[in-house]
Amino acid sequence: MSVAVAVLRKLAGMAVTLLVTSFLVFSSLYLAPGDPVSFLVRGRSPSPAEMAAIRRQFGFDQPFLERYWHWLDAVLHGDFGHSYLFHESVGAVIWSRLPASLLLVAVATLMIAVVGIGAGALGALRRGTRTDKGVLLLVTVGAAVPSFAAAIVLRSVFGVRLGWFPTIGNGNGPLDQLHHVVLPAVALSVTFMSLVTRVTRTAMLDQLGSEHVEVALSRGTPHRTVLRHHVLRNALGPIVTVCGLLVSGMLVSTAIVETAFGMSGIGSLLVQCVDELDFQVVQALVLLVVAVFVVVNTLVDLVYPLIDPRVAAQGGAR
Amino acid sequence: MPTLRTVRGAIALATLPLTALALTACSGTAHGGSADQSAAYRLTASTAAAKGDIDGFTWSLFAEPTSIDYAYSFDYPPNTVLANVCESLLRWNPDLTTSPGLASAYTNPTPTTWVYTIRSGVHFHDGKQLTADDVVASLRRNLDPNVGSDWAYPFRNVKSVDRTGPMQVTVTLKTPDSTFNKYLAASPGTVESAATLKADGKDYGNPAKGVNCTGPFSFSSWKPGQSIVLKRFNGYWDRALRAKAGQVKFVFLADATARVNAFQTGEVDGGWMVPPTSYAQLAASAKGRLYYGQNTTVADEVVNNLKGPLGNAQVRKALLMAIDRKGIIKAGVAGVGDAADNLVTRNNWNGSPRGTVDSTLKALPKYPYDPARAKQLAAGADVTGQRVVIATSPLDSQTTIITQAIAQAATAIGLKPQIDTVSPDKYTALFTDPAARKGIDLFLTFWYTSITDPLDMYGSLRTGAYSNYGNWSDPQFDAAVDQAVGAADPAARTAAAAKAQQIAMDQLPWLPLYTEPVSVFLGNRITGVKPSIDYLYYPWAAEIGAKEAAG
Repeated sequence: MSVAVAVLRKLAGMAVTLLVTSFLVFSSLYLAPGDPVSFLVRGRSPSPAEMAAIRRQFGFDQPFLERYWHWLDAVLHGDFGHSYLFHESVGAVIWSRLPASLLLVAVATLMIAVVGIGAGALGALRRGTRTDKGVLLLVTVGAAVPSFAAAIVLRSVFGVRLGWFPTIGNGNGPLDQLHHVVLPAVALSVTFMSLVTRVTRTAMLDQLGSEHVEVALSRGTPHRTVLRHHVLRNALGPIVTVCGLLVSGMLVSTAIVETAFGMSGIGSLLVQCVDELDFQVVQALVLLVVAVFVVVNTLVDLVYPLIDPRVAAQGGAR
Repeated sequence: MPTLRTVRGAIALATLPLTALALTACSGTAHGGSADQSAAYRLTASTAAAKGDIDGFTWSLFAEPTSIDYAYSFDYPPNTVLANVCESLLRWNPDLTTSPGLASAYTNPTPTTWVYTIRSGVHFHDGKQLTADDVVASLRRNLDPNVGSDWAYPFRNVKSVDRTGPMQVTVTLKTPDSTFNKYLAASPGTVESAATLKADGKDYGNPAKGVNCTGPFSFSSWKPGQSIVLKRFNGYWDRALRAKAGQVKFVFLADATARVNAFQTGEVDGGWMVPPTSYAQLAASAKGRLYYGQNTTVADEVVNNLKGPLGNAQVRKALLMAIDRKGIIKAGVAGVGDAADNLVTRNNWNGSPRGTVDSTLKALPKYPYDPARAKQLAAGADVTGQRVVIATSPLDSQTTIITQAIAQAATAIGLKPQIDTVSPDKYTALFTDPAARKGIDLFLTFWYTSITDPLDMYGSLRTGAYSNYGNWSDPQFDAAVDQAVGAADPAARTAAAAKAQQIAMDQLPWLPLYTEPVSVFLGNRITGVKPSIDYLYYPWAAEIGAKEAAG
């Protein structure tokens, strides 16, 4: 099978996944308890005619499938509807909050990759030594620290007491934004870093103990070459898979960290809109997160054969 | 009427573990407040006047407004901002009196007619002059079902709003309504440029369009999720309230600890509604000062089910007497509050003759903490062993503490309490959705009034009123409320309102728990604010300026 076909099949699968997701997201929100109309009218008791007008205005009077179809049609044309909570188009609402979350996730991902893979590799190469034990201890502690706890500690130590970092806001301009995002990114990545460290360490130990590495070493291949071509390359598969899952998962877990640092991103937006039953925004956000999840994992799948030629040899598409 | 905002108030207050420490009384002018000299707090009518102008200051909000359209400003965050940008026909002052605003004068020639003379020489932020057309267009939005104003309730008796002269507007009512005029000092009386309303349409008041009003500050920018910036308006008509700060930046900090930290680092200069759990910490802070001011808020336990054991007034009285309200105040709000003997605060009676109010309040039935007597009282009602469901939500520490205290009191009088913990959004739904209230006997609310009038509260307990959650009904009470709302003579109005209050406190459709002051933190750079609940409608930020003289 050619690479092009494999890629096309992946993309088709992606589209189907998104379509199914869109239906699930749309229907699940209508199954959620609470009537959006009662929220729309807040503390008022409108007349039945007014209620009917509101239902009509938001399309609640149409049959379910029709509503879904209209929504999907609009979404495919890039129109996610109007947020009744923010009195703005859903696109504008999300777009104004997306950059902050993306920066946060990007910085956190970088930290996870660099620290996680670095510490994991260090532990594996120094197996059984004090360094390895230190890494394992940190991993155990790190995995047990929830991001809200990390946020509280980081904020009070590095923000309030030492004054090195701002404790609130997104910042203005690239450098200032980076300054603002450091503490939240650390808080967000602590648990994930530990996970990646552990996976890296295990994967590399697996490789180090494998036959082909022993054979390569016994043949006198330089240590460094073996590490690079055999150990790291083969271990990279599981590491990339885990990282892919983490990145997409992180987009939703930003809510706690964003709230703790008074940042504005899509995590806190999602929580707010779920609380206030702002269906249009929630639908768009969930779809966005799922899309990121699917895209990232498709990318991982596509990158896999490049890392591990054995997978490519088996036919590319798994 | 107030619904969502009351829950928001609860959410706004603290999320951290409790530190019930005694507070050092903060200095300032003692004003009204607690008669008890040993109280843990004192009210401040005004902080020291500003010594000069300041470039700007940063202020915290506990949530981002969803819009600053006055028609949807029914909650602390939007009103805190809008109060400085948009003005109403009347003005609600820090001492909770009402005075002329954009209406320089008003008359009430017949019981159903209110005539407003529009102030001349007032400019909108875009430079255009205020006319009667702007007032008509602005008020009519509250009547328009397509707008769906959160303030439709105060306009329920309005028949028409018409221009009766270039600078005169007449409101015709269907029935006499003494509260209508008072509401024009709050958001319902806001005046926006008719041209702007027309041009912006559905986008009016959103982050892209903002608003164009007449206040001491103009809308400058809104970065969604981050901040709203206001700029001083140099063409402001009222010299006395010319803004001392060049700009105000509002930042949205949902997390209570994040807010307190930002005060401590100086990143934020101040904020209203300080979390009670941090009262002690902020009172001792070197970075600024904590003040308390007049409020109209009462924490109440709403009796939602009158078909269960609480349907008997004896049982409701017994329950109230078994609630350790002083204990709740000590543990829940660090002592900064007073047991409520009424469903409205004393402040709501400002404007009625003091002597009348005193005797009215004195005549009210009292429910002192007395578990033994409460038990006796309940024993006569034959409800022992019956179940009562108390709804709560992990909103903040005081909500949890109050719920525990209510459960304890229910047990003390022989009932079987069951605490039903729901998510914050489901808790919010209790105030709007009858289906969500099903099966619940009691729930907590922090209820404030937007006008200085007890009828804002008692009107909500009329038969069939939206916020009469338990469907409590008493024909005599309804008659008294109707009489008070319709009375043109202040003395007759006070007497009728007092009668309604007497019935309510005798029947206890809701159980009043405690009153609390408004709290505000001011960083060391700034001063000038007058702490009071009127900050929701009064341009409080205009008075904030430099603490030290420049140079």
